[in-house]
Amino acid sequence: MSTVTSTRPADSVTTDPAPANRRRRRSPRARRGPRVSAWVAVVVFGAFALLPVYWLLATSLSPQDQVFSYPPSIFPSDITFEHYADLADNPDLFRYLVNSVVVSVVTAVLSVLVSAYMGYSFSKFRYRGRRSLMYLVLSSQMFPQALLLVTLYAVFSAYGLLNSYAALILSFTTFTLPLCVWMLKGFFDTIPDELIESARVDGASRLRIIHSIVMPLSAPGLVAAGLFAFVRGWNDFIFALTLAGPDKQTLPPGLVNTYVGEAQTAWPQLMAASLVVSLPVVIGFIVLQRYLVGGLTAGAVKG
Amino acid sequence: MSTTYSRRRLLQLMGLGAGAVGFGGLAACAPSADGNDTSGGSSSTPTSGGAAQDFGFASWSLSEEAPKPVIEGLISSFEGDAGISISPVTYPYNEYLNQLTLQVRGGQFSGAAQVDVAWLGALAALGKLTDLGSFADGRGYTDAALQAGQYDGTQFGLPWTIGAIGLVTNTELMQQAGITAAPTTIEDFEATLRALKGLGDNIIPYAASTKVAQLKDILIWMQTFGSPLVEDGTVTIGDEASIEAVAWYKKLYDEGLIAPDVDRFDARALFSQGRAAIYDDAIVGKSAVVGESPDPDFASKLDPISRPVVQSGDDPRALFWGHAIVVVDGDGSGTAAEFAQWLTSDEATTVGFFEDLGLPPTTQAALDSGAVTGDAFTAAFSERVTATATVNPFWQYPQYAQMESAVAEQVQAVLVGSSSPADAMAAAGEAVQALI
Amino acid sequence: MHGGTVAQGRAGVANVDAPSTTAPRRIGDGAFAVVLTLPGFALLIAVVLYPLVSALVTAFFEQSLVVPGREFVGLENLRAVLEDDFWQIFRQTFVFTLGSTLIPFVVGFGLALALNTGLRGQRFFRGIFLVPWLVPGVVVSFLWMWIFNANYGVANGLLEGLGIIDEPHAWLAEPGTAMAAVIIAKTWASFPWMMVMLLAGLQTVPPELHEAAEMDGAGTIRRFFSVTLPHLKGIVGLVLLLEFIWNFQHFDIIYVLTGGGPAGTTQTFATSVYETAFRGFDLGRAGALGLLWMVILLLLVVVYVRFSERGEER
Repeated sequence: MSTVTSTRPADSVTTDPAPANRRRRRSPRARRGPRVSAWVAVVVFGAFALLPVYWLLATSLSPQDQVFSYPPSIFPSDITFEHYADLADNPDLFRYLVNSVVVSVVTAVLSVLVSAYMGYSFSKFRYRGRRSLMYLVLSSQMFPQALLLVTLYAVFSAYGLLNSYAALILSFTTFTLPLCVWMLKGFFDTIPDELIESARVDGASRLRIIHSIVMPLSAPGLVAAGLFAFVRGWNDFIFALTLAGPDKQTLPPGLVNTYVGEAQTAWPQLMAASLVVSLPVVIGFIVLQRYLVGGLTAGAVKG
Repeated sequence: MSTTYSRRRLLQLMGLGAGAVGFGGLAACAPSADGNDTSGGSSSTPTSGGAAQDFGFASWSLSEEAPKPVIEGLISSFEGDAGISISPVTYPYNEYLNQLTLQVRGGQFSGAAQVDVAWLGALAALGKLTDLGSFADGRGYTDAALQAGQYDGTQFGLPWTIGAIGLVTNTELMQQAGITAAPTTIEDFEATLRALKGLGDNIIPYAASTKVAQLKDILIWMQTFGSPLVEDGTVTIGDEASIEAVAWYKKLYDEGLIAPDVDRFDARALFSQGRAAIYDDAIVGKSAVVGESPDPDFASKLDPISRPVVQSGDDPRALFWGHAIVVVDGDGSGTAAEFAQWLTSDEATTVGFFEDLGLPPTTQAALDSGAVTGDAFTAAFSERVTATATVNPFWQYPQYAQMESAVAEQVQAVLVGSSSPADAMAAAGEAVQALI
Repeated sequence: MHGGTVAQGRAGVANVDAPSTTAPRRIGDGAFAVVLTLPGFALLIAVVLYPLVSALVTAFFEQSLVVPGREFVGLENLRAVLEDDFWQIFRQTFVFTLGSTLIPFVVGFGLALALNTGLRGQRFFRGIFLVPWLVPGVVVSFLWMWIFNANYGVANGLLEGLGIIDEPHAWLAEPGTAMAAVIIAKTWASFPWMMVMLLAGLQTVPPELHEAAEMDGAGTIRRFFSVTLPHLKGIVGLVLLLEFIWNFQHFDIIYVLTGGGPAGTTQTFATSVYETAFRGFDLGRAGALGLLWMVILLLLVVVYVRFSERGEER
């Protein structure tokens, strides 16, 4: 595994090398060829990424009686906001959103905490079976999750955790552990041992070292790992549907429940609702994205 | 088509449906358990002894836009009358059965639950459903409806709405294609589809289900061609009639008379846009279709027709369709049973339910009401479709869904050309037999 | 597994020729190290291991989700699964997994490279490209189902309008295109996170290396292969491995888009297990499928570990 002992000063660990990088690239010697192909890539892949989002928006603005016309009008001629207005009549949506945010945020925090301990153990200690344990953690992602549902339902039922946030949070935290542990281990690998040694000499307890030295130094990595964990909780359908119960239902099953019925799928309403509920998260990520890339860059991507 | 039917005639037809159900093979039509503590007539308060208790009510309709406010209204009115509280549980229709199963299995749910009549076998197998025989007595349910709620001779469900899945046509398109009389034989039907095809490339003459999720619709065509599907515990899929039915479906598919990638939702959407002239649906689909249509006058253009037959004079086939309420044993199940009884048989409640949602009631009294008899679409549907409806013989097995999908997958293999009708049906028959 | 290659990441870059210190470090005692892993392992045991073992045991029983009780049947379920369409599902699972790992990787890498050139509006694009990743998973499925619909989908409308196709296609209903359509939808949902990971990796490549290579006369493509790619080995490996693992058990998008159809051509292990357990109520058979799935994955892991260890020794 990673056995390089870094001798770089700790402060450089959290420095985002990107600015330096970018500055250099903008030097007068910047070549035209790559610049053009970069734009081509952005436009082509960008179209692939954004056209579906556009269609999501266009559908949400179409009147009910026009959504099924063919050929579809790429630019809807009659724009209506009725499907957005309808959202206000559906207080359940807000509840699903709150549930989703609570579940995803707590999952992110818990997952980062648990993974940080585990990742620190894998990074800074050498003991027998360490390597096997790391693989074990990683391979726990490979199992058929649909198969776990039946027993998991019984387990949570036995502990009275069904129909609560706990069942979802514990499940999602577990499913995000492997990625977070591996990311954070890579991050911790870049923290020089000397720093930890000297803190010990100063008499800091082992847990204190983790909490007040290692974790703050790794803050960007923790944020990055947390954002990944957040998305896992945010996206899940089948566990949320099965374990959460009616009151704690999150958005994915909630949206399906509301708009995909026995008789019809309410496409424009579904699209409108999806856009509205995704908006806060998208804004949050756009704000936090520099941590995402910066945090990963500063070490987490070392695997 | 706005012929009005006499009430007498209508009742007769509903009775006919009853006979057909027994023939379909569900449960041996055992008499319901004798009633002891039920009340006659219609009353909206719990009537059996003991204090009313809180319970849960599971229903997928509770999360759907149209029925939601109606059912919530019914719940709160029962809550008020009985002085209890009902906790709603809801799942998307597609995941409802397996989620309810997990809940019941894990002892997490007790109370009343809406079910599709097709699911009774699967839920009854869990061994936690209450026998509602005593609650069914003397409430005036039609025989056909009662039988739809029975499984293996026991009244596990009280019928909430009962109808059938039949062919619905768009009269405007039919007229444009020059079709004046509804086709009665398969031959006529094919000619009709070809005429409709002539209206333009954009028109799908018959939006039959071709996605695997709904391909079970083909079972009724197999029955139409003469395959009993199951006979004395032996699966007959693979016989001449079933092969013929699939080969016929394939022919329609290849000629573009039916379209690929269609399930019930798609069919409704296409039909509502005037892009499909005929499709299969239950009465429940009408409001969706009318709501999605750009044509404000669309409701008047819907006309149900009897499914064509091989030999004119044969009884047209139709598949039973309906919702029932079951009660899961546990806390409050007594009160839940009273709720189920009130919801499905109180005259004012059921007639109001029909007026709001167009779902046909299950008691004679409600069927006799002016609201029901005055509705031309429902009357026509009852006469031409529901009258000869039968249950799907697979429903008597808990693993019916797996059976249906085993057949559906093979039929799809034929449609996309990866298997021949004979091979596919032989394989399907074997797969289904293995599940019995 | 990545450790070996990854070690040359940043720390190595600082001084490329510095010998790695391979001596074990001991900053604390082993007991503490183990205690640190306990919360994580407790979760893994409770949420994954125990339910998994109990599900796999059912492989040897005739057990239904709805009928109480079970009966030991030995290898009967395994035999039935193997005799059925197991190998078809196996093949399809690999097609799906490889396709939805490699294609998003190419798209994500392409975008990461493009954004890393210091393009104007880099930050803006980076943010915008995250959107598909943040649309709730089921909505992704419904959106693509809506786009690909044979009879009123915008894919047909657009392609027909541009004259690329003559008549509407049933993308999700034709065996030839269904799997491709599913992979496209999955690609859309997962390229953003790969882009982010790879972009982060790219920003750790010291510009000095590029400049040195350029001075030696290496062109853009050559520099990509001789400087960029070797430097990103660790992150590329991690991203591909994780994506492979996730796709192997991916369920949502296939389930909603095609439900495994048409004619079973998009059925994978994950959808098949779900269908068997929750539609067919056949827990025994679902367990048998799961057991075979695990055997295959364990073989893959063994091969992978061997392979990566050999790489490390070199």
